Amino acid sequence: MDGFQKFKKEIIVPYSWLLPALVFLVTIVFFPVFISFVLSFFKFTGVESNYFQKFVGLGNFKYLLQHRYFWISARNTFYFVGSMAVIQTAIALFLAMIIYFGNFKYSGLVRMTIFAPAVLAPVCVSLIWRKILSQDGALNQILGGIDYPWLAKMNLAIWCVVLVNIWQWVGYSLVIYYAGLQGMNREVLEAADIDGANWTQKMFQMVIPFLAPITMLNVILNVIGSFRAFDIVYVLTKGGPAHYSEVFTTLMYYYAFSSWGPHKMGVAAALAFVMFTAIVVFGIVRIRLLKERRV
Amino acid sequence: MKQKRKTETLSYGVKRGRDLGFYIFSRIVIVITIAAIAFPILYIFSISLRTKATVYEDILILIPKTVTYQNYPGALDYAKTRLNVSFPEMFRNSIICTFGAISVSIIISAFASFSFSNFKFRGKEMLYTLMIASFAIPVQASLIPLFFMEKKLGILNTYLAVILPYIGFTVPIGVLILRSFFEGIPIEIKEAARVDGVSNFQMFLKIILPLSKPAIATCIILLFLETWNEFLFALIFLQNPKIQTLPVAIAKIAGGKYFAALGIYAAAIMITIIPILIVFVIFQRWFISGVTLGAIKG
Repeated sequence: MDGFQKFKKEIIVPYSWLLPALVFLVTIVFFPVFISFVLSFFKFTGVESNYFQKFVGLGNFKYLLQHRYFWISARNTFYFVGSMAVIQTAIALFLAMIIYFGNFKYSGLVRMTIFAPAVLAPVCVSLIWRKILSQDGALNQILGGIDYPWLAKMNLAIWCVVLVNIWQWVGYSLVIYYAGLQGMNREVLEAADIDGANWTQKMFQMVIPFLAPITMLNVILNVIGSFRAFDIVYVLTKGGPAHYSEVFTTLMYYYAFSSWGPHKMGVAAALAFVMFTAIVVFGIVRIRLLKERRV
Repeated sequence: MKQKRKTETLSYGVKRGRDLGFYIFSRIVIVITIAAIAFPILYIFSISLRTKATVYEDILILIPKTVTYQNYPGALDYAKTRLNVSFPEMFRNSIICTFGAISVSIIISAFASFSFSNFKFRGKEMLYTLMIASFAIPVQASLIPLFFMEKKLGILNTYLAVILPYIGFTVPIGVLILRSFFEGIPIEIKEAARVDGVSNFQMFLKIILPLSKPAIATCIILLFLETWNEFLFALIFLQNPKIQTLPVAIAKIAGGKYFAALGIYAAAIMITIIPILIVFVIFQRWFISGVTLGAIKG
């Protein structure tokens, strides 16, 4: 009886509170991820009666590695995620410091305005910028009435996506940085003033090192967010021109669901598994980095 | 006098007379940034107020010479006839999916957080880490199996088709916020309740939840942003136009098949974003503190 009471207290009660969350996590996230992994070894076109049509071993992965689109999308995903991690974080840091040290009278309003695009649906943001970047759009008019097709240039389209994504999310990183700055001890900076430190010394030796954990956080959030971003590319460029701005997420949609795609579910599942692996590796690297710093 | 008070009360930072260079530089940077942020939205707004003939006339000045509101009824009509789903229907669909998912998600993450914060049990920290780590998993990794699972269950093209995945993918965010908040509730309060002999469920309902209103508000905002704007699940799981949410229905105007005149295109975007911008302006403090809190907890 005693043993059962203990079992009840330590297992049944806590786990029954956890049960609904676990049920959802397992059925919606973990189980499908596992099935994705299994599917990636099968030829699978989505035909009803016969899901696991044929075991093909590593065939789907081989198909991916030999497919030109895969390498284009890998390159683009790298550019996209990398730019978000580096450029957006840098701009946000710069703006946060300008706002914080600039002592703006309406600093709250300024932050709110810069943050505002983050509440819009990426779909709407892309629709807006589609028009701005179009041949008769605002950008060309600002540049003096030229008709440059920004979104139709093979090597430029992905950078348009980067630009639009930064426009939308820079305020997000900014408010996180700003919260970090608000936690800074001002007396230390004032003491440095008295010691005659100039502003570059203060910035690079005090403020930026102080913000290092926040920088890490922003980089992680931007990497996770941009790695899974789909809508922005899908609406802004549709992966085009000629698949030159495809990223992993849109390429997977193309393989599996697009009406003009090849309907290769198995290949798409293999790509999903590649994405999953990439994010797990990123997570492990991040934990390693954190540990090293602590030791 | 005024200036003196300003330098005194203000925090560390630029002081007017002393750092004029930085003072001017910071103003210029912020003015340019705000212009860059606001221009695209104002530009689309300006287009939505123009007639076909004046749509390109001095467009960069933004203020049209003659204002027309015709594009707005035009966009309502366009949605009904061309997209096969009217704007009121899109809003209804988005509201059902968002609030259906948010309410369930918050309840079950509150249950889970209560367990994490209140009991000691085997596998606790491992489970918690697993839950939080699943936040990083891209939704694409489970998309294809989910599609076929839903097809088998016959819930494809129903609201449930997106509500269930939204719950699964937002629970980690809820647990992240709520667990740390629940743990911050003073132990004395919990112990006093224990002495009075309340059950776990009563404690959860009558003590923990009422004290956690700010954390729940944060959750509502974070989950709202996640689900209201969600696109990929909605695109694939809601193929019937009548039940499509705002992002999916509105994204179609980008396709050539659904060609919309420029004024209508702009008005349709404005109809979609104006409500959310109004909600944002009203609750902006909550939005920004919610995002900051959510990020820093993570």
